[in-house]
Amino acid sequence: MESWIPLLLVLIPVLPLAGAALTAVLGRPVLAGRSHLPVVVGIAGSFLAAAGLVLAIHGSLPAGANLPGAGDSVNAGYERTVDLWNWAVIGGAYHQPAGPDAFVMRDFRIDVTLRADPLSAIMLAMVTFISLLVAVYSVGYMRGDRGYWRFFAYIGLFVFSMTMLVSVSNFLLLYVFWEAVGLCSYLLIGFWYERPAAAAAGKKAFLVNRIGDFGFALGVFLIWTAFGTLNFHDTLGADGRIVAGVLGEARLEGGSIGIGGGTATWICLLLLLGACGKSAQFPLHVWLPDAMEGPTPVSALIHAATMVTAGVYMLARCAPLLLATVDGQMAVALIGGFTALLGGLIALTQTDLKRILAYSTISQLGYMFLGLGTGTVLGATAGMFHLFTHAFFKALLFLGAGSVMHAMGGVVDIRRFGGLRRILPVTHATFLVGCLALSGFPLLSGFFSKDLILVAVHERAAESGSTGLYQWLYWSAALTALLTAFYTFRAFFSTFYGQKQIPHEAGGQAHEAPRSMLVPLVVLAVCAALVGGYFEVTHGFADYLQQTPSIAYLARQAPQPAATGGHREVMLTSAVIALAGIGLAAALYWPRRSAAADAARRAGQAVGFYQLSLRKFFIDEVYQVLLVWPGLAVARASDWIDQRIIDRLVNFVGRVPPAVGAAIRPVQNGLIPFYAVGMVFGLLVLLAAVLMGWGWLGT
Amino acid sequence: MSSDALWQLGPETLVALAAVVVYVAGAFAAPRAAWSWVGLAGLGAAALCLASTTPQAAEPLRIDALALWLRWFALASGALLILTSWRPAADADGAELLGSLLLIIAGMMLVAAAGDLVLLFLGLELISIPTYIVLFVGRRTSEGREAAVKYFYLSILASAILLFGLSFLYGAAGTTSIEGIHQRLLDGGGSLGGFAGLALVFIFAGLSYKIAAVPFHFYAPDVYQGTTNDGAALLSVAPKAAGFLALVRLVAVAAEGVSSDAWRIALALAVLTMTTGNLLALWQDNLRRLLAYSSIAHAGYMLIGLAVYLGGNTLAGAAFDGVAALLFYLLIYALATVGTFAALNYLGETGQPVDHVDQLAGLAWSEEPRSRATAWLIAAFMFSLTGIPPLAGFWGKLALFAGALGVRGTEPAMRSWFVGLAVLGIVNAAIAAAYYLRVVGAMFFRMPMGKPRTGGSRSVPFAAAVICALLVVAIGLIPTPWYEAADRATPAAAAREAPEMIADAR
Repeated sequence: MESWIPLLLVLIPVLPLAGAALTAVLGRPVLAGRSHLPVVVGIAGSFLAAAGLVLAIHGSLPAGANLPGAGDSVNAGYERTVDLWNWAVIGGAYHQPAGPDAFVMRDFRIDVTLRADPLSAIMLAMVTFISLLVAVYSVGYMRGDRGYWRFFAYIGLFVFSMTMLVSVSNFLLLYVFWEAVGLCSYLLIGFWYERPAAAAAGKKAFLVNRIGDFGFALGVFLIWTAFGTLNFHDTLGADGRIVAGVLGEARLEGGSIGIGGGTATWICLLLLLGACGKSAQFPLHVWLPDAMEGPTPVSALIHAATMVTAGVYMLARCAPLLLATVDGQMAVALIGGFTALLGGLIALTQTDLKRILAYSTISQLGYMFLGLGTGTVLGATAGMFHLFTHAFFKALLFLGAGSVMHAMGGVVDIRRFGGLRRILPVTHATFLVGCLALSGFPLLSGFFSKDLILVAVHERAAESGSTGLYQWLYWSAALTALLTAFYTFRAFFSTFYGQKQIPHEAGGQAHEAPRSMLVPLVVLAVCAALVGGYFEVTHGFADYLQQTPSIAYLARQAPQPAATGGHREVMLTSAVIALAGIGLAAALYWPRRSAAADAARRAGQAVGFYQLSLRKFFIDEVYQVLLVWPGLAVARASDWIDQRIIDRLVNFVGRVPPAVGAAIRPVQNGLIPFYAVGMVFGLLVLLAAVLMGWGWLGT
Repeated sequence: MSSDALWQLGPETLVALAAVVVYVAGAFAAPRAAWSWVGLAGLGAAALCLASTTPQAAEPLRIDALALWLRWFALASGALLILTSWRPAADADGAELLGSLLLIIAGMMLVAAAGDLVLLFLGLELISIPTYIVLFVGRRTSEGREAAVKYFYLSILASAILLFGLSFLYGAAGTTSIEGIHQRLLDGGGSLGGFAGLALVFIFAGLSYKIAAVPFHFYAPDVYQGTTNDGAALLSVAPKAAGFLALVRLVAVAAEGVSSDAWRIALALAVLTMTTGNLLALWQDNLRRLLAYSSIAHAGYMLIGLAVYLGGNTLAGAAFDGVAALLFYLLIYALATVGTFAALNYLGETGQPVDHVDQLAGLAWSEEPRSRATAWLIAAFMFSLTGIPPLAGFWGKLALFAGALGVRGTEPAMRSWFVGLAVLGIVNAAIAAAYYLRVVGAMFFRMPMGKPRTGGSRSVPFAAAVICALLVVAIGLIPTPWYEAADRATPAAAAREAPEMIADAR
């Protein structure tokens, strides 16, 4: 099986790309309504390859290497790299003194290398699986749209970029595909670019992400100066010696990544800034809710299940860098915990179904960051596990919301429809599964993964010597779990129960979606219900993931503390919390918004909390005051200076080359004798320079 | 010439034979397309012959890695030029033009293989003389005649200057063999004395005409504008490649190390050439004139590579050899330039070539799918010529400029001269972006003027443009093997790897 790995690794990104290219070329003139075919087939092939890759890696794992922390065997994990080609070599670009007379010199290399390890394989399988379902769903959802072929071309391009993002083995290429998925996201948010809100949302996402990407770029620069390589894996240098990659075996084996102190913290914080942009964490989360202007399948695929998890993936990949700095870890945990709570609080009062889900996504991503921020192998595993299960149930919820919108003529305001469970029976049932999984209802996927994060934070808090921070984060995470259950079921009950209410946009013929949309819903619902429990029982996910070198390193460096017995206690707590949240929502919003709900809202309004939540804690307004207004003021001032001073200066400078050109243009007068004289004159000048020395020319 | 040498010249002979067949038989039957196939077959046979012949030393030839590189380059670019100038059957002058083109390719290959001053000069003339025919026959308007006459007279002047320079080398060494001259001058057996600088100046001046370096460039804009797109494509590749190879052979090999003037002359010419070319290109609205100045500017960039090699003594670990960067750049430049002319040829109709930037306006929104595709192809070439990653042009400029930054220098202040050269190169690249992007802007952001073009009958030039674009993208994505191929061909690599072969040659 192992010999298949290189082929599979290449096929996974190439097939969707080929599909996208075919659709882009043939979509408008030839394929028209069948434009989805190349892309769906490409993604399906890609998914099969990814599934094959997971199995191939599983078959290649060293026998008997189960829980790395449990035994005392030194487990370095499994990785396999496939060098495709070398994009650039600049010899001797890295030049650092390494002693009084010695120095380290390395080439700057961009190796286009794909890597296979459990972390990549899991991401690849998840991404291609969700993409496949969403692509199939879109066949029904986007039917009849003017940009049908354009939509599928973008989706194919996105799947290519995303699969490349998780399989490259180099920070620079990671950055390239980081930008590529950002570009696809921008194109798809603004897919209906005739709508001003969509165009503005696309722009907002792009601009906010620039802040994060700027941090990421600085982080990459700092990694280059600190490590002298940008590769994750070890490579063979020109002198035949091993160049230790940033996350390579040679470095991790040594038990330390070789840097520490301020540099390590800065790298960590800059990468975190990048991750915050892409994964919509406070304070860069503001773009994600607006991104809901895009088509709903896009929200499900890019803005819930895959692209927004890129930040989590990157931090998990860089877990050894995180381990080198306690400050960095705490920053990740703090940002994650805070964002989780904030997202939950804002989601309480939103009335736009998709925005509730968007804030929920922000909140759940916060959980994942929190898990990684514990710096333990349990936390990292839990964060990735939550990423995995979240992808299923959140994609399910978005696609369900899309089905509701489809029936309601595009209306998303939960106050304007209700009692839809009889009209949309399949959507209702699958949406219920998604809601239960998201709220952490016992034995559904979300329950196990969220629970694991709570356990990890709990253990870290219990660890002697750790600050009180993690204890606070534990309580905050538990509160967030309550909020999650509440807002999820608020939306659920408002939509499907109570008095039947259908907006006029539906045109009086609200009906269940076509089969191509329902099949993905059902498949996702089954997954959302079962994957968590399956992996909880078999331990398959954790064992597999911990064979990733980065995660295995965590296991070696920070062995799992002996079970404190806290696990069961935490599990019980979170089950109670979830049930309490669901119960509260049921009491208030079932059968219809009750008097109690109004009373609760009035109470909230009395203390000002309701407004605070509804207006999203005024963060957009804070941005407006702190960034946009000063920005505009500076812009106006700059505009004035620009118009009056700089522009004239630039125009002047800009005119210099053409002016010089114009000055020498008469020489080009078309006369042969003149040209001959010119040549001879040039010859004479050179002769003079050689004979009389170059001094008079300035050399 | 020994029989060994004749065997070694098999590829050149085959190409010349194809030319003869086309010339002679063309007098009886005119269709251009058929002769183009014959020409391609000739190039194919030459390629087979080149691939199957074991290189071996044979005076007066010098079949080293550099020669092989340029011979392959000549065959490949020759094939692209034939595709570019592919015409519909009704073209009475087809045979003459094609035969001349084949002879020019043979001339390029002969320059590459020449190990002797006389043969080298012969090769250069084998390029020049058919070029006069191409210019004259290609476009029988008063403009075309004027172009041919200009090129003819000034070319003769340049050849005379070059010959004068060569006579110094012969006088000093008493032999016309390039390797012989090299050895004599190194051993001190012959001496140029104070004449070393003079010889270099005349050689540089004579060859600067071929590569269109300032101030020997005057003909280029007028001649490019006056001829056809095919003729301009030919002029922008063949004389330039041969001229640079001759410069490397004469200045960097034969007269290696005889004078510290060498790098100064190359550096001065580079500065003057790229700056003048780019500044004047800003003013052009005629496409061929614009590309003429562009090709002048690119000759300036390539001279940076030569200056770097002649400057010698690079920093430890510096990645880019000057001559390797030059060859790499030559390839990338040729692909983008020939591709552009091929695309223009596709768009034009017989007798009505596209020659104005305005004629490209709104091309990207044309009704015809292939015209739309052509807009994207031209955009790719323009971006590559500008040097925007990830296209090939970026890596070419990187190799040249990084090479200049890697020069440590043997003389005081030399390093700062080369750093200044690199900075000026980068400034020039920025200036150049203005006129390349103007072409792209016209295609994408302007309303079409006049009737939409059909251009349907010329699918072969379109194919040539597609091939060039694919290569430009491929080299951009996978630059290393192409650079390494150029790197293996440099004199530096030859000195590293095969001293015995050179010894045999003597």
